[in-house]
Amino acid sequence: MSIELGHFALVLSFALALVQMTVPIVGAKLRNDTLMRVGEPAALTNFMLVALSFTALTFAYVQSDFSVLNVWENSHSAKPLLYKITGTWGNHEGSMLLWVLILVFFGALVAVFGRNLPLSLRANVLGVQGAISCAFIIFILATSNPFARLDPAPMEGRDLNPILQDIGLAVHPPLLYLGYVGFSVAFSFAIAALIEGRLDAAWARWVRPWTLAAWIFLTGGIAMGSYWAYYELGWGGFWFWDPVENASLLPWLGGTALLHSALVMEKRSALKIWTVLLAILTFSLSLLGTFLVRSGVLTSVHAFATDPTRGVFILGILVLFIGGSLALFAWRAGTLTAGGLFQPISREGALVLNNLILTTATATVLIGTLYPLLIEAVTGDKISVGAPFFNLTFGPLILPLLVVVPFGPLLAWKRGDLWAVSQRLFLAFGGGLAVALLVFILVDRTSVLAALGTGLGVWLVLGALTDLVIKSGLGKVAPAVAFGRFKGLPRSVFGTALAHAGIGLTTIGIISVTTLETERITAMQPGETVEIHGYNLRFESLRPFTGPNYTEDQARFVLTRVTGKAMGEVMSAKRFYTARQMPTTEAGIRTIGLSQLYVSLGDQTPNGKIVVRIWWKPMVTLIWLGSLIMMIGGTVSLLDRRLRVGAPMPRGKAAAQGARA
Amino acid sequence: MFWILAAILTFVAAVAVLRPFAVRGGGGEDAIAHDIEVYRDQLDEVERDAERGLIGRQEAEQARAEIGRRILKVSQIAEEQAERQTNQRLTRLTAAIAVLAVPLVSWGLYTITGSPGIPAQPLHARIAEQPADAPIDELVSRAEAHLAESPDDVRGWQVLAPVYMRLGRFGDARTALRNIMRLSGETAEMKAALGEAIVGGARGMVTAEAEDVFLEALKLEPGEPKARFFLALARAQEGATADAQAIWREMLGDLPEDSPWHAAARQALVRSGDAAASSERLGPSEEDMAAASDLSQADRQEMIEGMVAGLDEKLRENPQDLDGWRRLIRSYIVLQRPDAANAALKRGMAAFGRDAPESLELQGFAESLGVAIE
Amino acid sequence: MTRKQKRLAVIAGAIGFLGAATGLTLYALGEQTSYFYVPGDLAERPVGVGERIRLGGLVERGSIQRSDDTHVRFAVTDGIETVAVRYNGILPDLFREEQGVVTEGAFDQNRIFVADTVLAKHDENYMPREVADSLKEKGVWQED
Repeated sequence: MSIELGHFALVLSFALALVQMTVPIVGAKLRNDTLMRVGEPAALTNFMLVALSFTALTFAYVQSDFSVLNVWENSHSAKPLLYKITGTWGNHEGSMLLWVLILVFFGALVAVFGRNLPLSLRANVLGVQGAISCAFIIFILATSNPFARLDPAPMEGRDLNPILQDIGLAVHPPLLYLGYVGFSVAFSFAIAALIEGRLDAAWARWVRPWTLAAWIFLTGGIAMGSYWAYYELGWGGFWFWDPVENASLLPWLGGTALLHSALVMEKRSALKIWTVLLAILTFSLSLLGTFLVRSGVLTSVHAFATDPTRGVFILGILVLFIGGSLALFAWRAGTLTAGGLFQPISREGALVLNNLILTTATATVLIGTLYPLLIEAVTGDKISVGAPFFNLTFGPLILPLLVVVPFGPLLAWKRGDLWAVSQRLFLAFGGGLAVALLVFILVDRTSVLAALGTGLGVWLVLGALTDLVIKSGLGKVAPAVAFGRFKGLPRSVFGTALAHAGIGLTTIGIISVTTLETERITAMQPGETVEIHGYNLRFESLRPFTGPNYTEDQARFVLTRVTGKAMGEVMSAKRFYTARQMPTTEAGIRTIGLSQLYVSLGDQTPNGKIVVRIWWKPMVTLIWLGSLIMMIGGTVSLLDRRLRVGAPMPRGKAAAQGARA
Repeated sequence: MFWILAAILTFVAAVAVLRPFAVRGGGGEDAIAHDIEVYRDQLDEVERDAERGLIGRQEAEQARAEIGRRILKVSQIAEEQAERQTNQRLTRLTAAIAVLAVPLVSWGLYTITGSPGIPAQPLHARIAEQPADAPIDELVSRAEAHLAESPDDVRGWQVLAPVYMRLGRFGDARTALRNIMRLSGETAEMKAALGEAIVGGARGMVTAEAEDVFLEALKLEPGEPKARFFLALARAQEGATADAQAIWREMLGDLPEDSPWHAAARQALVRSGDAAASSERLGPSEEDMAAASDLSQADRQEMIEGMVAGLDEKLRENPQDLDGWRRLIRSYIVLQRPDAANAALKRGMAAFGRDAPESLELQGFAESLGVAIE
Repeated sequence: MTRKQKRLAVIAGAIGFLGAATGLTLYALGEQTSYFYVPGDLAERPVGVGERIRLGGLVERGSIQRSDDTHVRFAVTDGIETVAVRYNGILPDLFREEQGVVTEGAFDQNRIFVADTVLAKHDENYMPREVADSLKEKGVWQED
């Protein structure tokens, strides 16, 4: 019964979403307070219903209820409990339900935290959220119903896929979805603004925390996916420019641009129309990502054409929302008043430059991702657009942005003094240059890119620190005063500095690994030693080992410095999951400082040796460490009082303070 | 019960929609006031920044002036704005439509997509209720769970390997056979079975890998019939029909009449177009051996019996296994052999000692299945 | 500079940047994309020495030769034509005889395909999609 109740709850939430979609918006049009207020309880109840529905499905997984088609197809009674639970969203139907759950969760959050929003804005925002949930719930019910039943029920499930039994892969999709779907709030705000034909002053202040929250999750999701691929796929790549990865990078780039343009709008009432457009585009990219991953169009246009129900349905949703919102934008954007003026050299100017570069870079990634689909659909040729394309386009476009990042926060609003800012950044520039020279002279004289890239990263980190130093007045005033000011800085200033420093660290990581990585591929037998980057790796033994549902050949390596200092052992294995007959490579990873030694096993050669591939990956951990710092920066910024409440203090309190003063 | 809960849910949803209509709304805060608050807050911020020296005196002055201008602009709009009106009739109509839509849409849609008649069927409950239903899959997965814990139990792998073959789970069969050879050494028979599993996995094609395995089998025992048969099949699949037929004829010559492979070879000869063989009686076809998808009732019974016998054997060697005894007793009940179940209960109780807690538990379990000691 | 001139300069800069980005993208699309071939396609659409392509098909039975070091040779076939492939490195976990594979690289002077990437993507039938599509078109491989 629990299952059917979950199913019913989902259907009911569709009906309620219909109400949420229409009544508040009609109310806003008629200026009827009562109708507008319907959105709030509808959003909360909707969340409750979808949560109930999701719980019912999870329960079916935990109990191995094979009378549910979805459970039978994607689970097995012998799975560990944890993976039974994560299996709920490890498949198409369940993951779409998770998508909707997160969507209505955000809707409920808007309802709860939006109590101090102007009523009509709140009504329109919740109405648009309702429309999105409507579309996706009916998609689930019509084409991918996770509650489809089997009668009589089979006794055993079909799936025990070992690849999916990985905690990284289990946590990755929810994080990514929190990011994707989080942008729906910014989208709803944009549409609401277009419907109303006016932008409240609080609009940008409202959009920014939601965008920021979504951005933090998406950053986490992308970083986690990248690390998972790095350690699990056994060849030490951290980014493949795979369409699925691009699908998550696109909204991230759009969201980053949106964060910055919303800042201009909040502080200066400028770039209003652009920010609205960007909010629409960012969520459109999220929808596009969902479409690309979920419709099967990526694996093959033909596969899509032969089984089109799901794909066409999502494509329909895509056309409806992207096309509809852009049409609305074209129609109504004129009613929004354009805002403040500013000089090209100013904080606004810097943020416009940021937006110009980010959106252009987004466009190249989008083209590279969609071009093969287009060509296959038109001419039937199969082409692949791989890493070389993106390195050639995305790389040169994004580099200038990284160079100018430290200038932005230091420039004044409206009219900035580039020369003064340059002088303040002199130390940071010197630091970056010094590191670049050091890398060139001491580490690698052949790669200019390595030197420049590392210098660039250091410049970003030092530039971010410079911002903090100058804003706290360190060096100009007494240290105690400076410390006091430092503590008193708004959290968003720290957030900015952390996020920009994080980008710098990630840049250092990416550049070092791609330019300075060393690799040895060699056939070894126990007792042999290979030298890599000042370390000796001795192949100690190869022994079979049996795990709970796999067998593996474990290779034990002993690591020593060339100078003889022992560094412990590294284990690498070739694993074989018996039930699925599936081999996997378990890489041996040893972190030394910020760098890693990565050992992976290959096949046996005819003379009984085993192929071993060893990489020295300098500074590789900085890639994810930098992402983590970006996330921390975003979180710190989110905790800023002004963003936390989204709107100013209640008037009573402010008035009381005024009276006292 | 389901319908009652569904009705309650629907009611809750409808009430949620209705709530704002029931509550007499206070005066709506208007958007303009909001804007002014925001600007005030911005002024405060400029003030704070100026105090802290984050922005210059002149900059602060400019910012203040600009925010002041914005406040002025908004206030003007506020004065122009018309009063809002509420149309009572329209509100009631919308409320009625919305409240009706919730149950109508949800119940209507659910009757199309839902299956209210099917109860939830958690696996453990089903097994507890009807152990007789526990199918081969269930027995196999139990055996698998056991082998995952003690992968060095040859006996378990030996029971499972042929079961996998019959179920068409050739990959698993390969693993089982490899494990048997790992634990009890390589034999021609096992090698040939492994080859057969590989062929099954390749949908009946004798792959190079399979061929190597069959050759190894023949190295261990030159006359191994299964390996010979499949090597001939490999020739036939390559198109070297004459070579294949030669091997099959040889098999007809040196295998005894009652060997299944004698029949299989003859059958294969007929299919490959050898007229001389066609006159003879046909035996089981090669497809029967290569892939068995559906098991007949008899096969199933036989297989379960094989597995139960294996369990019985194991409990003789290691009688301190309460769970094992439970399974054995239940299996005998499933096989409708109450005498054997009774005997198993006695043996189990003897193993633990008549008054040991395990014995009492076992007795209770047996009684729940209708087995009692006379 | 007057305000108008400044604005013009900014707009010109933005257009210049967009132009450069467009040019770069078009150039990269022309140069850096690789076409997908199965061996049978090579007769119809010849591929020059050094031109980067992706070559897919089945690993021919019995063709895998491992050397005592890390070099591997094998042949990729679509049942009609066969191409010899050379590769140095670790083959993917799912690389097997008679299973689908996609290799990326270029032909050398001796018409041997030198691969720098070998992919054996996983799906139910151990068959990369593009390979499955091509082989199905040619009727070599049937789904059941």
